[in-house]
Amino acid sequence: MAVKEATKTKIVSKDYKEYVREPIPDIGLDETIKRLTPEKIEKTVKAVIGGQVARIKAVLNTCIHCGLCAEACQWYLSYDKDPTYAPVAKMRMTIWEMIRRDFKVDAEFIKQCSRIVFTECNICHRCSLYCPYGLDITYIIGMVRRICFLLGVIPQRQMDQTQAHIVTQNQVWMSQNDWVDALQFIEEESGADFKNLRVPIDKEGAEVMFLPLGAEPKTGTYHIERTAKIMLVAGVNWTLPEKDTWDSSSMSMFVRDFVTMQRIVRGLYENAARLRVKKMMLTE
Amino acid sequence: MYDFIKDPTLYNLVRGPLVWIAFIVFIGGSIYRVKSFMDLVKNDKTLLPFISLKYTLRSLLHWLIPFASKSWRRYPVLTTATFIFHIGLVILPLFVLGHIVLVKESWGIRWWNVSEGFADFMTVIVMLCCVFFFFRRLFAPKVKFVTFGDDYLMLAISFLPFFTGFLAYHQVLLPPKTMTILHMLSGELMLIAIPFTRLMHMFYFFLTRSFMGSQFGLWHTRDW
Repeated sequence: MAVKEATKTKIVSKDYKEYVREPIPDIGLDETIKRLTPEKIEKTVKAVIGGQVARIKAVLNTCIHCGLCAEACQWYLSYDKDPTYAPVAKMRMTIWEMIRRDFKVDAEFIKQCSRIVFTECNICHRCSLYCPYGLDITYIIGMVRRICFLLGVIPQRQMDQTQAHIVTQNQVWMSQNDWVDALQFIEEESGADFKNLRVPIDKEGAEVMFLPLGAEPKTGTYHIERTAKIMLVAGVNWTLPEKDTWDSSSMSMFVRDFVTMQRIVRGLYENAARLRVKKMMLTE
Repeated sequence: MYDFIKDPTLYNLVRGPLVWIAFIVFIGGSIYRVKSFMDLVKNDKTLLPFISLKYTLRSLLHWLIPFASKSWRRYPVLTTATFIFHIGLVILPLFVLGHIVLVKESWGIRWWNVSEGFADFMTVIVMLCCVFFFFRRLFAPKVKFVTFGDDYLMLAISFLPFFTGFLAYHQVLLPPKTMTILHMLSGELMLIAIPFTRLMHMFYFFLTRSFMGSQFGLWHTRDW
């Protein structure tokens, strides 16, 4: 249902009349819901939140619907205290409804959930700071994100990043050749600046292993160059890993892609163990 | 208990067997629910290892003191009402003379009671707090959006024992014996409802607070 207000068209949720938003087109949501079937949705929702999970039960059975979390949320505050932005409201519009309908929700509802948990919450945890029970509302948001991820209904850019981690173990679609090329390029280009400036790759027994963010070798090579210079002047015995995983970021975490999250962390530690370094230095 | 067998009146039923049933369901049910919750907690391998007693106690102390946390300070009226309501909810059933007299009749033991004037005054305050909560649920937009029937039901269940107790003590509206029976029934209803509703928050509070308090300790941040 579209309601014209001044010159902007707004959409009103068919489930909650207080939920009024401007439409945001995103093929990651608009197109992907066309592939969903009711059975697929029910199966996925049930798999993620249907089990006996302590963290979910703690939130659902203890929340007294007091609304103290609202004033913690920057979304609620910046949207002029619109009640549909309150953390507890986000739970009402996602998990409460899924449980109330016995996990049988439709594709439009999933799209609405995806919009709520990806664009109206950034899992900052402030709500937990203000909740008298200290409930972990972000866990619920995370589980709804996981449901949307497993169904493929997430913002397109988010899906791109998630896929990048699944395929290349980094967020910028760099192959291993590209990674080594980039490091060699940095050493070539900056070699003239400082005497003995190196960008060491796979140096066994180094003191520190540096694990940059994906963007550094892709579009910000000057970051690694500066790190190399600092390490040289500080006299630190350091290295970068040649093999995956070298990217210390985890976009997979934002969609609760547990398998890839594990692969990333395991990859980082395996590099550290393989090179027998003492410390791991992460950009983020 | 035997009174009821000898003389099966409604009063004796409510005064005897139903009290036993109410407390057994309340205590047994609560133990069952907390225990099954703890069993679920044990399944989550990343939970228990991070719980810290020191930070649990820090968090409990912080949140059980009115206006200590930023969230409590943000809502002075709500905080005052919440604390007075809960204090009354615990103190009055335990230390009101009318209850102590019944315990003495049944078991011969007796403990300290609050003055009748204080009990009366406190009951009125608790009822006013309930009214405040009710209007808050009805009119505050962010609360209204997430309030449903069970929230009103829990409020009514908590309100009734105080309301009927007040009327019974002042012997108004209905004959005192009838009012007393209604008061006992409403108290028993509340006790029985606890393990089956979100009134269990009275126990879960300590568990969830322990988790988040421990998280704050882990993050080296203060309890807000």
